[in-house]
Amino acid sequence: MIGAYEISLLTTIGIAVTFALSLNLVTGFCGQISLGHAAFLGTGAYVAAMSVVAGAPFAVGLIAGGLVAAAVGAVVGLASLRVRHDFLAITTMGVGFLFVGFTRQQDWLGGEMGIAGIPEAPFGKVGLMVVALGVAAATAAFSVYLKRTWMGFAFDAIAADEDTARTVAIDVSRYKLAAFALGTGIAGLAGGLYAFNIRFIAPDSFGFVESVTVLAMVVIGGIGSVLWVTVAAAALAVLPQWFQAVDDYKLLLYGVLLFTVMRLSPGGLAGLVARLVRGVRQ
Amino acid sequence: MFLVELFVQGLIQGSVYALIAVGLTLVYGLLRILHVAHAGLFTLGGYAGVLVTNATGSVAVALVFAALSVGAVGMAVYRFCYEPILRRPPYVALIASIGLFIAMEELFRIVFGPFGLTYDIVPLQGSVVIGGMYLRSAELVTMALAAVLIGGLGLLAGRTRIGLAWRATVSVPEMAESFGIDIVKVRYLNFFIGSALAGVAGVMVSVLNNLVEPTMGSVASYKALAIIVLGGLGNVRGTLVAALTLGVIEAYGTIYLAGFLDRDAIAFAVLIVILMVRPQGLFGRSA
Amino acid sequence: MTAVLEVTGVTVTFGGVTALDDVSFVVHPGELLGLIGPNGAGKTTMLKVVTGIVVPQAGTVRLANADLAGLPTHARMRRGLGLAQQLVRTFDNVSTIENVMLAAGRQRTASPWAALFQVNRSVERRIALELLERVGIADAAEQRPDHLPLGYRKRLQVARALALDPALLLLDEPLAGLNHVEAAALADVVRGIADDGRTVVLIEHNLGEVLRITDRLVVLDSGRKIGDGEPGAVIRDPVVHAAYIGEGEAA
Ligand SMILES: Nc1ncnc2c1ncn2[C@@H]1O[C@H](COP(=O)(O)OP(=O)(O)OP(=O)(O)O)[C@@H](O)[C@H]1O
Ligand SMILES: [Mg+2]
Repeated sequence: MIGAYEISLLTTIGIAVTFALSLNLVTGFCGQISLGHAAFLGTGAYVAAMSVVAGAPFAVGLIAGGLVAAAVGAVVGLASLRVRHDFLAITTMGVGFLFVGFTRQQDWLGGEMGIAGIPEAPFGKVGLMVVALGVAAATAAFSVYLKRTWMGFAFDAIAADEDTARTVAIDVSRYKLAAFALGTGIAGLAGGLYAFNIRFIAPDSFGFVESVTVLAMVVIGGIGSVLWVTVAAAALAVLPQWFQAVDDYKLLLYGVLLFTVMRLSPGGLAGLVARLVRGVRQ
Repeated sequence: MFLVELFVQGLIQGSVYALIAVGLTLVYGLLRILHVAHAGLFTLGGYAGVLVTNATGSVAVALVFAALSVGAVGMAVYRFCYEPILRRPPYVALIASIGLFIAMEELFRIVFGPFGLTYDIVPLQGSVVIGGMYLRSAELVTMALAAVLIGGLGLLAGRTRIGLAWRATVSVPEMAESFGIDIVKVRYLNFFIGSALAGVAGVMVSVLNNLVEPTMGSVASYKALAIIVLGGLGNVRGTLVAALTLGVIEAYGTIYLAGFLDRDAIAFAVLIVILMVRPQGLFGRSA
Repeated sequence: MTAVLEVTGVTVTFGGVTALDDVSFVVHPGELLGLIGPNGAGKTTMLKVVTGIVVPQAGTVRLANADLAGLPTHARMRRGLGLAQQLVRTFDNVSTIENVMLAAGRQRTASPWAALFQVNRSVERRIALELLERVGIADAAEQRPDHLPLGYRKRLQVARALALDPALLLLDEPLAGLNHVEAAALADVVRGIADDGRTVVLIEHNLGEVLRITDRLVVLDSGRKIGDGEPGAVIRDPVVHAAYIGEGEAA
């Protein structure tokens, strides 16, 4: 039998993997950098929490969280159509700050204090773990599938060079919107699970640090690589729980890792492994 | 009257933003890097301010020390962090810079503790009355420093040989190189000056708040990113106008938008609204 | 017979520079039109106007009698344009053949949500391989384009533009960077494309090949049209001679 600790750990991993893969879809597949992805985790969490607090069934809360996050994401995607590259990085960072700045001032969302006492899921902690792991597995499977579809193929072109993608008749704007809607919708799902797992949410749970954390997962795994982003997300989610020292210096670790990976292997773990394999073969 | 006071408060805050943002926009102009770690240098300036002032009793010494030391650290950041990755795609430097910044903030927390440091005796405590308005000496000094330093920078760029080399390097790097300008030297100078200004801003903010804490750089300097975008990335004049304008908008916004939006989010709301209308920033040239 | 492309009174200025000054010309069905002129004449700018990358200050562009004004680039490509740009721009995160497949799959990528349910790439792979063979670079099909020599990348662009099955193929200096033999071979390919009934506009500095394969020439100089007609006659025109050949001697 697994104990309460392992259950909570596995739930956390499931949520982290889902969240990281959702960013990987936008940044890795479609090449659109986002520095405010936690805002969509937050949107999903708030919508799900408010729904169940108001008496809606958990599944409804979860799905509503995903849908609202996707809708907000599509709006942000509209913004991304106007700006590119560096401007996009700062715009998405701004979206993250706007989310925190907005929720803090909303009394109906609990203001700075957030929402406490989110009811426990009727399917219990084990049930939640199963749902979280299931959503993570489904997201990974969907990512792998997406990469093989013509949508994923068009994303490749856009990530490489969006002007040239237009010259092969790809409607870059609509594809970017689709990427944002999918990625933020899945982030919203992860947010709902987060709210049900922690059962307390506040604006600062979804700030810049969380956006950087999820970016770290994607970057360290290797931008675009489903397998290694999953590995990196799981590792970065459990390390702070296993090692108190890691927990204390979590941000230092993320910071140093982000820097070191960019400096030494911008392809992340995926790039590193590919290079090793190539080295061994030769 | 109240409106005028808000306006002046806005200008003071805007001066701080300007000191920080000028360095950021200079780096962008030269290297096309969003130098997020600039925020860490600003915080470093704050620590230098408090520590040196408490040790020597002179905030003037602290200002000079902060300018020189933060400027030197800025050059080191260029040498060891950016130079090796300049040829990689732009997101590489951006993410590396974010990592560096987060690591710096954490180092401050670990070295100086999470609660921040204060002045033994807060410098520049006096106040003056101008036109019926109370202004703290520290506020006046902040504005004066911003005006003098940025004005001096303008003279340096416009009137001196090295300044001309600098501007040439920013507008057409390949050409500058063929004219025998030492691009690397220009980059070091650029990082030194930009970082020194951020260091000075750090000292003044720590004096204004009588506090320096590890996270001091977060909000102010992300805001600086918003400002340089509004100013049209790499455009110093645009950045100045954007900094002062944002300071003023925030001053009014804090009063009139309080129930709706956090002060620190106003910058980004303005940013996003303006980018929707003008994707190249307020003062950027259209592509 | 209606024109495939009809450009009327197109004017483009960049800041103070007038890149195109009231230029008009037509391209007839099945024709291989050479668009020539000295460096900076405005040839590339003209293609950018046709494909919607540059918006002209004045003038109209009609493709098969339909005004293209206001249409974004991708929509124009869907209406029957294919473009190989002067500066080589390839998708370097996928293989050479996949570059071509992306264009060949334009029906599949028409709508993102429909594209999400399409996985099969075999038809496009077959078409792409044929095109790579046609331009003579099938040996590099599985390689990443960024590792290929310029001549290969240039030909990849031609294959990719062709893969859109365009009514009008626009080629901007496809022969640049190719050696003598390769250039002649690709010129033959371009001639062959026209012989198949496809309409082609070819920008090229290699006058020998241009005179050998084109049906008609339009000459630009400093943004103005200074010649339009049968290649041999146009090239002997003193005005064209002065502008074009004179510049060639000076260079
Ligand atoms: N984006 C731009 N901004 C400013 N000026 C431009 C731009 N694009 C082209 N020009 C200018 O417009 C003029 C025409 O350029 P264009 O590239 O169309 O010439 P071209 O005939 O294709 O020359 P080449 O044979 O060298 O390719 C040139 O003077 C060029 O400098
Ligand atoms: Mg050209």
